[in-house]
Amino acid sequence: MPKRTIRLCYRKIIDVSSQKTWDKYVFESTYAEFLLQVQFYNQGKKYNSFAEVLLNTPAAEKLHFLVSAAVTGYLQQLGGRLPDITDNLGKHSLTFKNYRFEIVNSDIKNKASHQVAINFFSEPLTWHETIGNYLLVSDPDNEKQDDNIFTSLVQLQPFLSICSLKEETI
Amino acid sequence: MEHTRKNFLKNFLIGSASVPLILAACKKDAVTETGTTTGSDTSTGSCTVTATETAGPFPTITPSSLVRSDIRLDRTGVAFTINITIKNKNNNCAALSGALVDIWHCDKDGYYSEYGGTSMQAVNYTAVHFLRGRQVTDANGLVTFTSIFPGWYQGRATHIHTHIYNAAGTSLLISQISFPEGSSSAVALVNSSTANGYTKGMTGYTYNSSDDVFKDDTAGAQTGTVTGSISAGYALAVTLYVAA
Repeated sequence: MPKRTIRLCYRKIIDVSSQKTWDKYVFESTYAEFLLQVQFYNQGKKYNSFAEVLLNTPAAEKLHFLVSAAVTGYLQQLGGRLPDITDNLGKHSLTFKNYRFEIVNSDIKNKASHQVAINFFSEPLTWHETIGNYLLVSDPDNEKQDDNIFTSLVQLQPFLSICSLKEETI
Repeated sequence: MEHTRKNFLKNFLIGSASVPLILAACKKDAVTETGTTTGSDTSTGSCTVTATETAGPFPTITPSSLVRSDIRLDRTGVAFTINITIKNKNNNCAALSGALVDIWHCDKDGYYSEYGGTSMQAVNYTAVHFLRGRQVTDANGLVTFTSIFPGWYQGRATHIHTHIYNAAGTSLLISQISFPEGSSSAVALVNSSTANGYTKGMTGYTYNSSDDVFKDDTAGAQTGTVTGSISAGYALAVTLYVAA
């Protein structure tokens, strides 16, 4: 059987209804950064919504990247552990280094319409088996000790997906 | 009458059914971090194990990562200090304190920090916003950044972008700073400095007089003063005037 290495991605949506402290801080910080940076692409404040700015100034696509600067400090607070997604023991065992930030919607006049997404990309995982709705995975760098592989079970769920797959014949 | 009674019963049933739900929602467990909830309040629908770990991490309010004086991150090149003074045209050109100054420029090879083309391309969060920074002007209207001397790219003279906001975040000025030219200028010397990783030289360089942004600035109002040397590093000083 080929060895399969996957990356899981978790798309975390944050908006005005978000409850967790971390999420609320990200909501506030990204909206403040959006209000600053959108002015470069919306000179004269002709448009209110991000969608209108984007439609009329395609270069505003860069705002995804530029506003992501407001998130960096919060990502560091996570200590490299993927938030929200726990394994079947209730632990945050998935780790990440890579992410991509998106502005889903926003509006300079209406904070309540501000909605962002952070895509977390897990570090590579060896995918051994699928048991029911769970993936049996392990850290490829830390696999064997006395012939035992230390594994964890991660449940497939909305907003969690497999976003890359590498197969090697062994 | 019958109709009213039906409505009453219906309302009563809805009402009584709602009570336990409201009570459940008020329980601390239900509103704290149970399983996977997304921002749009669409619970995942599936039933996952509640996180059971030692509390933490403890979020704290953190400024934008752009707020820093040293903007190099992982970029290398000839040492470069950028001093920008902001003055207020509406106040007899007195120094403007408390203004936000954003700057960004390209690296020695002419690249900016930005996302690549494909939407699934991920970036490592520790090095992503290189050569971009934000500082607040002091009582003398001054901000200082530690950086590397920018390279150049096709079609543009060497430049630094600036965006100045008042303390409330309202845009006051979007501008670019140009560099002095000539055979002994920092631009000419640095771009020939292969020892520091600059590989382009000046062949194909767009000079200020041909640059679409700077060609109308014949008085050099947007040009900074550059002093220093390759070995000691260069410093740029410029004064920008805003109407605040």
